[in-house]
Amino acid sequence: MHRISFNLNGETTETEVEDYSTLMEMLREKFSLLSLKEGCGIGECGACTVLLNEKPVYACLTLAVKADGCDIKTAEYLSKGSEIHPLQKSFIKAGAVQCGYCTPGMLMSAYALLKNEEKPTDEMIREGISGNLCRCTGYIQIVEAVRDAAKI
Amino acid sequence: MFVGKDIERLDALEKVMGRGVFAGDLTMEGMLFGVLIRSDKFHAKIRSIDAVDALSTPGVVRILTHRDIPGRNGFGIIKKDQPYFAEEHVRFPGEPVLMVIALSERIAREAASKVRIEWEEIAPVLDPFEAANSKVSIHKGGNLLCHKRVLKGDVNRGKEESDVIVERTYSTQRADHVFLECEAGIGYPDPSGRIVVISSTQNIHYKQKEVSQLLALPEDKIRIIQAATGGGFGGKLDVTVEGYAALGAFYTNRPVMVRYTREESMLANTKRHPLYMSYRTGAKKDGMLTFVEAKIVGDTGAYASYGEVVALRAAVHATGPYQVPNVHVESSMYFTNNPVCGAMRGFGIPQTAFAHESQMDLLAEGLNMDLLEIRKINALRKGSTTATGQVLSHSVGFYDTLKCVEPAWKSRNKKDNKGFGLGCMFYGIGNTGVPNPSGCHLTLNPEGKVTFHLGACDIGQGSDTALTQILLETLGIEKDSLELLKGDSDITRDAGSSSASRQTYITGRAVYEAGKKLRSYLEEKGIKKGRPLREICGEASRGGRIVFEGYFDPPTTSLDPDTGRGVPYATYAFATHMTEVEVDRSTHTCKVKKVHAAHDVGKAINPSSTRGQIYGGIAMGIGLALMEEFIPLKSRSLYTYYIPTSMDMPSVETYLVEDEEPTGPYGAKGVGEPALIPQAASIMNAIKDAAGVRGYELPCNFERLCLLAQRDKK
Ligand code: FES
Ligand code: FES
Repeated sequence: MHRISFNLNGETTETEVEDYSTLMEMLREKFSLLSLKEGCGIGECGACTVLLNEKPVYACLTLAVKADGCDIKTAEYLSKGSEIHPLQKSFIKAGAVQCGYCTPGMLMSAYALLKNEEKPTDEMIREGISGNLCRCTGYIQIVEAVRDAAKI
Repeated sequence: MFVGKDIERLDALEKVMGRGVFAGDLTMEGMLFGVLIRSDKFHAKIRSIDAVDALSTPGVVRILTHRDIPGRNGFGIIKKDQPYFAEEHVRFPGEPVLMVIALSERIAREAASKVRIEWEEIAPVLDPFEAANSKVSIHKGGNLLCHKRVLKGDVNRGKEESDVIVERTYSTQRADHVFLECEAGIGYPDPSGRIVVISSTQNIHYKQKEVSQLLALPEDKIRIIQAATGGGFGGKLDVTVEGYAALGAFYTNRPVMVRYTREESMLANTKRHPLYMSYRTGAKKDGMLTFVEAKIVGDTGAYASYGEVVALRAAVHATGPYQVPNVHVESSMYFTNNPVCGAMRGFGIPQTAFAHESQMDLLAEGLNMDLLEIRKINALRKGSTTATGQVLSHSVGFYDTLKCVEPAWKSRNKKDNKGFGLGCMFYGIGNTGVPNPSGCHLTLNPEGKVTFHLGACDIGQGSDTALTQILLETLGIEKDSLELLKGDSDITRDAGSSSASRQTYITGRAVYEAGKKLRSYLEEKGIKKGRPLREICGEASRGGRIVFEGYFDPPTTSLDPDTGRGVPYATYAFATHMTEVEVDRSTHTCKVKKVHAAHDVGKAINPSSTRGQIYGGIAMGIGLALMEEFIPLKSRSLYTYYIPTSMDMPSVETYLVEDEEPTGPYGAKGVGEPALIPQAASIMNAIKDAAGVRGYELPCNFERLCLLAQRDKK
């Protein structure tokens, strides 16, 4: 067991984790942050994407102890109460959500991209979300949503 | 007011907030976890099972096998031939043998790894041609699942009249659904002693029947609720985890969660049928088709699932969307020891489209004709007769879809490694030649709202939203005056499965019917004279519950078993895709650059959603054409089975043709499967244009493209 402390969605927090626990297990089971999903468990699908120090990582491949002293953001961070982030708004508007299973991970990759690039080209957006699989949308409306959000 | 508008998805807000509750997200007091132990053999007898170590693992609650099944150890949409747990034999790698139930998932998996099964291997049958001649019989009745035939006119006469005849054989691969959310469900006993299952599913009422047979309990003792479902594409039509979760709850009297990892999902879920299609197609000098003769052989894997439907659909659609005077199609489906193939987006038609669209191009080449022109000449139109003898009297917008892509086709600029290809399709909406009704009902609640009871499963395609739009349009009320109750077998009528692109059309019409009844009631009660809805609802609910029912069963007939003649579908969707590719001749890779996709959808209830279906279909078509191939025991994860990423997507131009279907709600038909069907075909034709080589096998991945190029050099 390790005692770790970190910043989670804007608040300082502490917990104990096993050395073999993944960041995904910790966030889902200990903090009930259910936005991150498991689609493969081996770093291939991106459904578990969260931000570690503002960089997207696969929570299924990241050990929980790595969070120690870091800043972690999940899709829950994007909305405050019923107030949602412009990126979430544009996802809804563009029809970027079908089954929605990939959506939280996709949002986090897009959020990280927009942090670094104010006006990304479509090519940059596609690259930015290329680690996130979506089987429903064909990505086109997702790219549109990110492009629209970048305009705001 | 609502129909034809880009209304935002009803479930999008909760999903962007990460609050969509999928089955695997559920937790319940005292919840246990079930993990299945599966065969890793293609074909074997079970000699012995040693579960002593597993059972003595601390935290293990119970182990279940076929002996623990109180009712029928068999499920399947048509034949109930697939066991929940193998009895003496296993017939494919991935077949479940037993289940460990434990306090945590980790313990259950650890215990599962300790189970030792001793096998006596039997020679497996691995392809349908072998199955046809093998002495090894996979099932008692032999290896043939079914044989379907479609006959029209006289193909010999057709041959005599032909100026050109093209004869080729095509084959397609086994493919995995890769819905992003793997199968998951939780079963629990409710206080009244019933068994409830909440799961990721495409059809709640069918699963209620299956679970009732499994547990030997009456149907009203079983309740199935749909959780948010992360894609289905046909793979969540068959019983997946529901039986196991229910059985676990039945024996432990506690909630039991069963959720598959991706590896388990790939072992367990049904696949797209590999088809082998030998075609002979003829045409006259002027391009008119004279005959189509096709022999289709399919591999349905170890159990029947939807194999019969795929064989029949492939036969009925074998000509493609063209008028063909003489047709002879033989379509057979064989059992093998491969993974079970079932329903997957398109039900065999993406496969036949690859064949008939390649044939069209080959004919045009033989006649020195334009590739679009030959399709225009032969296009099904109003008044045409299909291969099954059905006269198409309405909503036949195929020609218009060809016209939509015509400007792009005429101005295409073929150079160097670039190439352009066409792919066309028609697709019968709903089940094939069998009744397939949908029901729904509306009530008025005391808070002054209309309650919409909907049994159709939204699996991401957006049916909740589209059906709500249909209802609001019919009622002429505002969105806030409606409350949607859905996906629960207790409170909804059977709306059939979310498959065969049928929900918008069939359930949509049922919703329209219910809406019309309620509307005339509201008018009778003075809504038009300004009496508020709230008041009418209040009054109605005080006087007892009034139910407004809607029901629709599309007008079809059964097909003659010898000739396939009849009216299998009440309506058809049509589409044309034009695809531009670039083939890199040094790396043998193909990149899809641009797709023009024209679809006759009857009426786009929600155009943004309709486009979303088309984009998603194109992505899946790219996977089918260029990369996806499921190889049993090798394709074990997303590391060994690739699906398209954002980098594989072309830019897409969509064209919506709205040739309204008179029996559909506001003219709507369906688009879910049509979106995918012509895509692989158009890519294959484009590769021919770009690289001068024609592929006859899917997927046309790097290895196959390389081989084609080498052969071409020789
Ligand atoms: S679950 Fe982490 S990448 Fe797929
Ligand atoms: S919306 Fe279903 S996987 Fe992306």
